[in-house]
Amino acid sequence: MLFPAALGIGLPLGIGFAAIGSGIGIGLLGKGAMEAMGRQPEILPKLQVAMIIGFGFAEALTIYAFVTMFFLQGRIG
Amino acid sequence: MQQSLPNRDVLDRALRTSWIVAVALAAALAPARPWDAAAILAGQLIAFLHFIFLRKIVKLFTEKRGAGALEVADRSGFAALPFLITAKVLVVYGGMFALLASRRFGYAPLCVGFALPFLTLFLKSIMLAFGAGPASLMRRAKGGIGSVGRAALLVAMLAAISSSAPGRAVAQEHAAGTHAAAEHAKESGAAELPNWLVILHDFNPGNPVISWLEKNQVIVFAWIAGLLFLFVSWLAMRNPKMVPGPFQNAVEWMVESMESVAGDLLGEKHIQRHFPIIGALFFYILTINMLGIIPGMKSATSSLDLTLALALITFLYVQFWGIRNLGILGYIDHLAGQPRDVTGWIMLPVMLPVHVLGELAKPVSLSCRLFGNIFGEDTLIVVFVGATALLLKAGLSLLAVPPMAGITALFMMLQTLTSIVQALIFSLLATVYLYMMLPHEEHGHEESHAEAQATH
Repeated sequence: MLFPAALGIGLPLGIGFAAIGSGIGIGLLGKGAMEAMGRQPEILPKLQVAMIIGFGFAEALTIYAFVTMFFLQGRIG
Repeated sequence: MQQSLPNRDVLDRALRTSWIVAVALAAALAPARPWDAAAILAGQLIAFLHFIFLRKIVKLFTEKRGAGALEVADRSGFAALPFLITAKVLVVYGGMFALLASRRFGYAPLCVGFALPFLTLFLKSIMLAFGAGPASLMRRAKGGIGSVGRAALLVAMLAAISSSAPGRAVAQEHAAGTHAAAEHAKESGAAELPNWLVILHDFNPGNPVISWLEKNQVIVFAWIAGLLFLFVSWLAMRNPKMVPGPFQNAVEWMVESMESVAGDLLGEKHIQRHFPIIGALFFYILTINMLGIIPGMKSATSSLDLTLALALITFLYVQFWGIRNLGILGYIDHLAGQPRDVTGWIMLPVMLPVHVLGELAKPVSLSCRLFGNIFGEDTLIVVFVGATALLLKAGLSLLAVPPMAGITALFMMLQTLTSIVQALIFSLLATVYLYMMLPHEEHGHEESHAEAQATH
């Protein structure tokens, strides 16, 4: 297979897979945070901040894939 | 004010050093290439004036906050502030562009002249951070070391922010040359909604000023957002009262809630020192992001240039505080994963690269996250607007406009949410990175833990 063609197929697929991973991570985080909020509503502000930071770290994985795409995008031709 | 004195001291000494270096360089160059020597001196003069004005402006701001915060009568300082800012823009930036425009002076020696004071100030700050130099050791003995580094760092950061944008633009223009327009068209593969600069450019294709602005529109919009931010905060605190009016109340509420959110993470002691940069990052990014919702405007964070600059500022700030708090040996120890036992020392060759790479990944992920989110939202709206335009072209205006307008409005609401959340994530992650570098008191933590257990 030609290198540009392989890249053209692989890059979007790679981002998709990375997004699956961080999607699962964010989903688990949100689930845990929601449950905790339901049980103990008084810690809501503290929990929200921690949750958003966790989202940020989970999201970063997709962003690494995104950056890789930017590095290789020019070589699709 | 006790703090302003050492601040002026370090700035003065850095400027003095840079003058000495500049004169020495110019003297060395003068016999062979007199114009280059003059260019170095002229660049040095412009940068020197920049620092002088900046110091005056910063001093006016801080003195207002400190001394006469609740006094209505003391308004003379604020009359001087707009004057000073205008004078700074006219003299410094006007002079800079005049120098760059004149063909007589070379580009490289001018840049050397501009960069010299920044470089010396940067080196001085680093030396202060490492505790090197006899003068700083003496001051550490006196106990005033904290305020010096903070003030110098603040000045350096303000200088870097305010000076990097135009300089970069000029450099970019020089580097790209005539191919810039073609490359720009190729580079921005995804469509963007036209902002007022693009429209202005379309109506005046030949105008060099407008085409220059259009090419560097990210900088223009970043400046617009920054000025808006400054203007709003000035408007709110221009006439502070003990019982605030609605506007002042709203602004104070925003600042205070941000401070409490970041303070929960960072702790009571550190937030006082670090809130200026965290809050500035949050509100600046928020202003820029929100600017994109206004039709005809563009959010400058949808370009990697600006987000990378912000992330690098955060990165340097965090590393600086890490070195200052841990010391240079403690910093290396921190990077090595704090080896205390045999396992730690065996894992050292693995842990050190991992930690260094982790530190380097921080600015990348910070900048790309902000860029990706804002750019993605903008592209989403462009897609729907483009679809509406296509349907209108096909003569289906009755079918196209109501649902499409509804969808676009929905996504604009989502964009508002994204703007706030991304600004919050950026500043909170900066806070977390900072927290990792600061010494934490395990005592207070354990006590609160024990307390929590006791209540259960």
